[in-house]
Amino acid sequence: MIFSVKRTMAIFQKDYKDILKNYFVSSSVLMPLVLAALYGRMGVETVNEHYLIFNMTFCLVAAYVQCSLIAEEKEKNTLRGLMLSPASTLEILGGKSLLSFIGTILVIVISAFLTEYKPENILVISIAIVLSTVFYIGLGTVLGLMTKSVMEASVVILPFIGIFSFGSMLTYFADKFPILKAAEYMPNSQLINLANQVQTGAGLLDVWFNFAIILAWVAVIYVIVVIVYRKRMMD
Amino acid sequence: MSILKINDLEKHEEHSLVFPAFSLEVSEHEVIAIHSSTNVRAILVKLFLGELPVSNGELSINGHEIMKSKKAYFNQVGMFLLDNGIYERLSVKDHFAFFKKLYSSEISMDDALRMTQLEPKRNIRVSKLTASEKRRVHFGRLLFQDPALFIFEEPDQNTDLETKRVFLKLVRKLSERGKGVLVLTGNMESALSVTDKVCRLDETGLHVLDVVSDEETTDALPKEEHKSEDQIIEEEIIIQPVRFEKIPTKVNDKIVLFDPPEIDYIESNEGQSNIYIKGEMYPSVFTMTELENRLHPYGFFRCHRSYIVNLQKVREVVTWTRNSFTLVLGDAKKSSIPLSKTKMAELKGMLGLK
Repeated sequence: MIFSVKRTMAIFQKDYKDILKNYFVSSSVLMPLVLAALYGRMGVETVNEHYLIFNMTFCLVAAYVQCSLIAEEKEKNTLRGLMLSPASTLEILGGKSLLSFIGTILVIVISAFLTEYKPENILVISIAIVLSTVFYIGLGTVLGLMTKSVMEASVVILPFIGIFSFGSMLTYFADKFPILKAAEYMPNSQLINLANQVQTGAGLLDVWFNFAIILAWVAVIYVIVVIVYRKRMMD
Repeated sequence: MSILKINDLEKHEEHSLVFPAFSLEVSEHEVIAIHSSTNVRAILVKLFLGELPVSNGELSINGHEIMKSKKAYFNQVGMFLLDNGIYERLSVKDHFAFFKKLYSSEISMDDALRMTQLEPKRNIRVSKLTASEKRRVHFGRLLFQDPALFIFEEPDQNTDLETKRVFLKLVRKLSERGKGVLVLTGNMESALSVTDKVCRLDETGLHVLDVVSDEETTDALPKEEHKSEDQIIEEEIIIQPVRFEKIPTKVNDKIVLFDPPEIDYIESNEGQSNIYIKGEMYPSVFTMTELENRLHPYGFFRCHRSYIVNLQKVREVVTWTRNSFTLVLGDAKKSSIPLSKTKMAELKGMLGLK
């Protein structure tokens, strides 16, 4: 089976046009931007505050858009048409992931501009952001494969927004409750940790441990994607 | 060279037999309709989609079986299903552009729009189209896909006349281009309007209906008429003194009598003639020929081998092609009834048209 870029782009363009007219989804994409603009006017001092917005973007754009794109195909019964077409599953998911990916990166760049975030080492931060985006798209794919409608998808995504946007705050209580130490190994906490180190002048080699953890998360989520996909295809 | 090959396919569901083993082939240029109940149709569709396994028998399209190579199988077949989804927010043009790229098709967008008669609607969101127009968008999808075999599930159920016309034109064009077409429907009229090759599939098996084929019917008819003439003479002798004018029908154990002008039309189904009155069906005790003779004085007309229509109720005569016609009645359901080619000339004569 040859991966066709043309078909992937066809699906990408179709989803792009569709999402522009889907105000339910596109308005949630705008939320991080509104928040970023507000924070930017108030003045952001710590790196953690920048990343509160970035992590929210990951959840609302990468994960949620990906999830609702897949869930809507199922809800409207159009997924079967796609499955019967020459497009392979890889091409279908590829087209959708590409849209979520471009959307996420765009929103992150604009929010960084609005909150006036200036990383010390732009290369390390970009790699970290791209890796995180890939992780959240994987998360969105898993949720999308499991849910049946956009409504269901927007409910399912809520706990994940809670965990991944504000979860990093749990580490403040880690002294009192040792179990919360585990929260430090979440991908969002690792990203913040990494960004803090970069801000104090760390290079690519100094943060390899954070990268390794994020990479491990990416690997885990894509293994889950494959498992869920196989299970769902059996039905 | 046959495109679709069904060999000894049968299906049991739990305790009941859905249909016994049957074989069917659809070749190039061929249009075949299968008339069946909703249940049988749904199971056939599932077999074609691979949602139900083909456990007994074989089903292959151009030599590809679904179990062996799913991709190759689905490349050969285009399906129009009743529950096909559509991207509500996209316009007709967006849809066609997407299909064109998805199927890497050579057909130009304008051609597809013209064939589905969606040109004036090209920039309109699909959610604002009528149900009939949405179907035409799906016809467009099949045009772009351009497979060897087309399967249509209830293509003209609850559609407007324009969509029906588009569909019939499409089927004719496809068969001219050497494609195979299979129509699954529960409506005999719709099956007859598409093709002369109609089969009925139920728990007793696959029966090929001997439809229209005008030369044969003209041979067969005089004999029938001859036989029945004696009958009328006998009947008239008995009937005339009483001036018996009611048509009896059997509903369970009761015999219900109807005035001839009440009747909309009569359809024959496997030797049983059914009388339709205001959308309700009543089985009649008479054969079609007997009914035709009894009802002739009341302005009834045998418009097809298996149909007698009350001419007073006919509102429209629709011409699909030079050889295929449909009568549309003026009742609430706007029932449509096939009119065979030879009978058209007769009807024209009766109406005083030449």
